[in-house]
Amino acid sequence: MLKLNTRFMAGASVVAAVLLMAGCTQNSAEPKETKVAAKATIDGGVAYPVVNDKMGPYYVNPQVAAVAPKINNGRIPTANELKAWDKDIQAGGKGLPEGSGSVEEGEELYEAKCVMCHGDFGSGGGGYPALSKGNAYELQKTLTNNRWHDPEADGPTRVFGSYWPQASTLWWYIRDGMPHPKSKTLTDDEVYALTAYILNINEMEIDGEEIDDEFVLDREKFARIKMPNVDGFEPKIDGPDGLENVRNYYANPKNFGAIKVKPSERCMTGCQEETVEVVRIQGAGISDFMPPMSVVRDAPEEKKEEKIDPKEVYNNTCAMCHSGYLSPGSAEWKPFVAEGMETVYKKAIEGTPNGMPAKGGTDLSDANFKLVVDYVVNGK
Amino acid sequence: MDNKKSQNDNTIDRREFFRKTAAASVAAVAGTSVLSSDAMADDPAIMHHVPWGQKWGDPVTKNRYGMPSKYEHNVTRRNTKLLASGNFQASIAVTPIHESMGIITPNGLFFSRSHGGVAHVDPNMYRLMIHGLVEKPIVLTLEELKRYPSVTRTHFIECPANGGQEWRGPQYNSIQFAKGFMSCAEWTGVYVKDILADLGLKPEAKWMLTEGSDNSEMGRTVPIDKVLDDAMIVWGQNGEALRPEQGYPVRLLLPGWEGNLCVKWLKRLEFSDEPWYCKEETSKYTALKPTGKAIQHFYANEVNSTVTSPSPEIDWSNLKDGDIVEIEGLAWSGMGTITGVDLSFDGGKTYVEAKLKGLVLPKCWTRWSYIHTYKKGEKLLLTSRAMDDAGYIQPTIDQEVSVMGVESVYHRNAVETWEVTETGKVNHVQMRTPGGVKNA
Ligand code: HEC
Ligand code: HEC
Repeated sequence: MLKLNTRFMAGASVVAAVLLMAGCTQNSAEPKETKVAAKATIDGGVAYPVVNDKMGPYYVNPQVAAVAPKINNGRIPTANELKAWDKDIQAGGKGLPEGSGSVEEGEELYEAKCVMCHGDFGSGGGGYPALSKGNAYELQKTLTNNRWHDPEADGPTRVFGSYWPQASTLWWYIRDGMPHPKSKTLTDDEVYALTAYILNINEMEIDGEEIDDEFVLDREKFARIKMPNVDGFEPKIDGPDGLENVRNYYANPKNFGAIKVKPSERCMTGCQEETVEVVRIQGAGISDFMPPMSVVRDAPEEKKEEKIDPKEVYNNTCAMCHSGYLSPGSAEWKPFVAEGMETVYKKAIEGTPNGMPAKGGTDLSDANFKLVVDYVVNGK
Repeated sequence: MDNKKSQNDNTIDRREFFRKTAAASVAAVAGTSVLSSDAMADDPAIMHHVPWGQKWGDPVTKNRYGMPSKYEHNVTRRNTKLLASGNFQASIAVTPIHESMGIITPNGLFFSRSHGGVAHVDPNMYRLMIHGLVEKPIVLTLEELKRYPSVTRTHFIECPANGGQEWRGPQYNSIQFAKGFMSCAEWTGVYVKDILADLGLKPEAKWMLTEGSDNSEMGRTVPIDKVLDDAMIVWGQNGEALRPEQGYPVRLLLPGWEGNLCVKWLKRLEFSDEPWYCKEETSKYTALKPTGKAIQHFYANEVNSTVTSPSPEIDWSNLKDGDIVEIEGLAWSGMGTITGVDLSFDGGKTYVEAKLKGLVLPKCWTRWSYIHTYKKGEKLLLTSRAMDDAGYIQPTIDQEVSVMGVESVYHRNAVETWEVTETGKVNHVQMRTPGGVKNA
């Protein structure tokens, strides 16, 4: 039944395990009632092995399994190609390149490339995630806060320092995903510096050493970072038992708030606690839907060039960045305007590497967008 | 004798027939029936030629790629500021579930979630690299990838934050926002295991990194069990190429699992003996419990259901007393196949069995239905509850919250309730014990 060539046999033990798990044993004389998995599936669900050329309700071409080991599509990547793409960083900093950067350098970079979205000292705002809320070790203790009894109580604080299990995630994500409008433009040294700065604003230590302004982060020191919440996650996925831990975890519905019941024994009357009440949406709830909710079937308005109010566009989209620095009519616009308004328009339409997203993230027409630029530059 | 009897039966039938007809005409006179009446004004939509009947329509050369009728312009994805991490590149636009029919979401309405904006990948420059703990690493062009024998499967994809804003109480008076972080489509691609048959997986391989080529370089870790079960690399969506919003030209599809794991704009698969710790499986997509521990690697979207008709968007305020209506809904489970749905009219205190209809497929939207005779002025609390063949049933809110607390954001699948008011308006409410159940 299993048609595998020797090459694939390398993984055959795993395959066999998976099939066993689904209760699919070869040449079994057992009745075909295989609903209940012999061994836990990885997600607590049902697996549908191929039986009589069908996988669940779907027919499967049985020729494919026979020829799959011989389908020789594609080519082997070159060593340089592998190096160019295989750049992920694993726990403990496995995969990190050489390099270094100081907290001080990180702060400078942060002020230039990150602060407009992530706020002063990583405080976040306007929907952008906070990178710090203060002392990581103290805030880790808030993770048991739960607002079910008192909605006004303090909730848990989940930011890098208090929550993340591994620092490798931070380094890797900054290099590949940030700064948001123009990712993958930082050098490795810059990423070390920004990581050092973010450790600093989270008031973290490495081996008891405080991460002050002079602190320089490199690969060797990185490997010694221990996140305050490293043990805060379940199931345990590291080490040789990782997969088995996950299977065992999902074998118990209680672990993840699920309920299993025989259909004939499910509750049909008296299925709620005596104490339940009808809980309604508070106030108007959330209803700032875009476009506004409507189920009317009318002819849409003819698309004319939409009239916009530049000040309103500014308040809704530009203000999140252009309020402290480069606010409407501020003197800081002088050097920009000196290059000529056509250049200013062009750069603002295309976006700049220093954090100005193309058209400020709007989808306005060029003409309308220029009206907003005029407003931001002149303040009227 | 026989002949006589049958004649007799016939007479009874005819008498019965006339009796029923008479009752119907009485109802008609009472003004609650559609039977015609001379007192009614003639409908101009019938009495006059309609404009589109008297002039040429568009030539077939127009709209080479067809578009919906312009009258359907309100049937769109929608978004709100709350669901944006600062900008609409790291955000979600959700599906108008209240308008969806059957079990397929049209590609233009499929919910769209991205972390660095929707990427526009040039298919000529598309490459997929598969390497790590395999005997033979490879790189494939799009053409080479599509040359593998294909499989086609219908599966939903759901963001595990579907309903995640409502752990502490209802927030959206809208099914589009309360349940629309999901869609369902027919996908075409290749099983990852069929590609691995040639590459040769090494026995120590336990985890697969899946990585996108977009601005956020989206990464996630997948356990080998799923890779060798039903994990697919897909390029087809409802009979055409994937839409950019769904990862054109290629995404990973892990049937039933978190949408975020089904990495779009797929560029690389690497096999390792140790898991990765990507941003979206640590900072986010982890479910914090009241114990202070968070579930990581929370894969499958659990059994779930919703009433789609009526909904807060399309309610019953136009119904007349005695109207026969279909209460309709969707049920789905990322852990198996839907085996049944129950419907409650009192907020989940008592249930009756609803009927499944249409195709019932694994890890797929399933339609259910219940016929109801509407009583003018009746007040209802409509709650649906689904079961799957893995043996799971949806919990009550109290049951789910007693284990998960209210801070876990993801994987909320407790039963949900629509309140039908005496005027036929529909409101999103929750049936729960304020402050949580005792001893929780
Ligand atoms: C244009 C605004 C913008 C700029 C500039 C920006 N970011 Fe971000 N950043 C974001 C958004 C949006 C997210 C959330 C992305 C998501 O939802 O996946 C984010 C997420 C992050 C995260 C993950 C936070 C978490 O808790 O999950 C880190 C770390 C980060 N950014 C670091 C940086 C650094 C360092 C810089 C400067 C080099 C930077 N960002 C510049 C918008 C920005
Ligand atoms: C995510 C933050 C952000 C948003 C949102 C944003 N800007 Fe900017 N913008 C910047 C930054 C940072 C600069 C400075 C860039 C530089 O120095 O190159 C800038 C520069 C500019 C410039 C000068 C371009 C040049 O180099 O000449 C203009 C004009 C401008 N923004 C207009 C707007 C308008 C109009 C909007 C709203 C529609 C907007 N911006 C929204 C961050 C933002």
